[in-house]
Amino acid sequence: MIKVLFFATIRDYTGVKETEAEGPGTVMELLTELASAYGSAFSDEAFEEGEISDRVIIMVNGRHIAHTGGGNTPLKSGDTVAVFPIIGGG
Amino acid sequence: MDNLGKVMRVNLTEGTVKTEDLCEKTVREYIGGRGYGTKVLYDEVPKGTDPLSPENKLIFANGPLTGKAAPSAGRYMVITKSPLTGYIASSNSGGFWGAELARAGWFMIIFEGRSPKPVYLWIKDDKVEIRDAGAIWGKDGHEATDDLLAAVGDSQAKVVCIGTAGENLSHIAAIMNDKTRAAGRSGVGAVMGSKNLKGIVVRGSARPPVQDAEGMKAALASSMEKLKTNPVTSQGLPTYGTAVLVNVINQAGGYPMNNWQGAYFPEADEQSGETLARDFLIKRYSCFGCPIGCGRVTKLGEKIGEGPEYETIFAFGVCCGVAGLEPIIEANNICNELGLDTISAGVTIAAAMELYEKGYIKKEELEGGPELRFGSDEAVVYWTRKMGLGEGLGKKLAEGSYRLCEMYGHPEFSMTVKKQEMPAYDGRAIQGIGLNYATSNRGGCHVRGYTISPEILGLPEKLDPIDIESKPAWVSIFQNLTAAIDASGMCLFTSFALGADDYGAFLKAATGFDYDGTETLKAGERIWNIERLFNLREGLDPLKEDTLPDRLLKEPIPDGPSKGMVSRLGEMLPNYYKYRGWDEKGIPTAEKLAELGLN
Ligand code: SF4
Repeated sequence: MIKVLFFATIRDYTGVKETEAEGPGTVMELLTELASAYGSAFSDEAFEEGEISDRVIIMVNGRHIAHTGGGNTPLKSGDTVAVFPIIGGG
Repeated sequence: MDNLGKVMRVNLTEGTVKTEDLCEKTVREYIGGRGYGTKVLYDEVPKGTDPLSPENKLIFANGPLTGKAAPSAGRYMVITKSPLTGYIASSNSGGFWGAELARAGWFMIIFEGRSPKPVYLWIKDDKVEIRDAGAIWGKDGHEATDDLLAAVGDSQAKVVCIGTAGENLSHIAAIMNDKTRAAGRSGVGAVMGSKNLKGIVVRGSARPPVQDAEGMKAALASSMEKLKTNPVTSQGLPTYGTAVLVNVINQAGGYPMNNWQGAYFPEADEQSGETLARDFLIKRYSCFGCPIGCGRVTKLGEKIGEGPEYETIFAFGVCCGVAGLEPIIEANNICNELGLDTISAGVTIAAAMELYEKGYIKKEELEGGPELRFGSDEAVVYWTRKMGLGEGLGKKLAEGSYRLCEMYGHPEFSMTVKKQEMPAYDGRAIQGIGLNYATSNRGGCHVRGYTISPEILGLPEKLDPIDIESKPAWVSIFQNLTAAIDASGMCLFTSFALGADDYGAFLKAATGFDYDGTETLKAGERIWNIERLFNLREGLDPLKEDTLPDRLLKEPIPDGPSKGMVSRLGEMLPNYYKYRGWDEKGIPTAEKLAELGLN
């Protein structure tokens, strides 16, 4: 089982703070599943021309997917995936 | 240079006020604010000056853009020699006070000496009076603000003042303006207290002119477009404030828990920006001329206050093992009223909790107050107040974490750099921010070179937080750019959307000098180096002091996403020195100083 956590405005699109997924082997597959579950508000934010958009920060076990293979980042049972919108602060 | 305002020199010992012209060359080379102020401090405060003596100077400095039409340009800086670190202090604040000072026709105020009795300064345009503050001394910052406004008979005037912490010379005392905005760090409030200066009230009636109004309009149009379309400045910060960082930093395993004994907090969402917005937020707050509006007006019970910021949530929350927002909001309000720096206050309580739990602070010393245990809501609120009032054990806490831990013979529990408490990111999980803390001229600080932006948030590029190769260059460039922004009078948060060229365009329009992106960064580098020279003259030993607490260098993070990591500072520092054009001992080389005109 893969644990998926949502934060900030992403929660407005999903209506939940977290969910679980079974099966997706990569981040891209997981996001595609989530997009069909949560509809266009979520998928518009998560995807840009078929690629994972720059408006979201996605971490797998605390690592930004930019450093682990992007959408091809492999997933396995026990992983935690966190989905954030682009945010800032100080 | 008349459009930027005049320099006011106030000798508090003699009770005199003089007006001086701005030095054009200094504006060209150091911009203003943090830059101009540091140049004055470097030239006028001799080596070895006791920070709390009349010989130290206390400088309030605007930038050329403060009070102008540039976005988020209401900022001023306080520059002095820090009683906390013994090195340069330069603290930045927003709100409305700096802009009002510009409207009154002043660029900068230099305080010298020490008043024989408590006083405040009343500035109405070019009329300046030193007035008795005997009846206001002893009051907290909120009461003092109300009393000062009543005393001058002008409710529209703006007030900067200290609370009881500054009066008591707490090493972590802040200077507060507009009640809730703080020039917080490095104990600047104690310097104000040492001068018997309770406050400065200002009222201005002019609209500060700029050198090139058309240039200003053009720079404004292009920058506003960027601020309006950037997701951070148009959505993230306005919706959730800085507290939106809680979850992302925690998920990255860089959220320092229990005085840096951990870096992941399972209860983090309870204190997140999302929870703050849902349960406590009443409305947003914007500083002067700011289209972002990251401030939070919150309500707890019947009390309305401002904040807490992300850093404050970390300091009184996770760092003290506290999960819920109520005690954090309460402690934040106490700091705003009594005039304490929230980062230093929370991190010092965390150190006290470790000292207590390990048996070094004894129960009798608590004098019946709540036990200093991680996770105690009651302890955080109670000891913050005691610290701000300087009562009982609170008096020791008010010295800051380094002095506290040293008193008990265990400086290793002090999570400080150059004796200043580190902020809310773990340098073991996020390597660049650790290098930034270690090399920050004012000691542990995130807003000297905010590499969290590329390392965690992916802006403007996605840097791997655990990579060390790229960090020396990024840290240096961010430090230089930030120094220039702090000198300009604009808010650092605009840099999520704007770059050096944008700041250059604003500075050019305001001053008429040939600033562009390159020249802006060069001025920032000059500021960074003169701060370094100030510290070196005060005895800084870079190889011993450009460092992090041993806990970050030697104790791996025990659990969470960054389990097993330590800071690799030792590998990054030589490259940082090299990148800066400093020698292997961390001293700027003669060539670098000549290049910057600092020889
Ligand atoms: S971004 Fe926030 S801190 Fe900066 S000027 Fe605007 S409201 Fe003030």
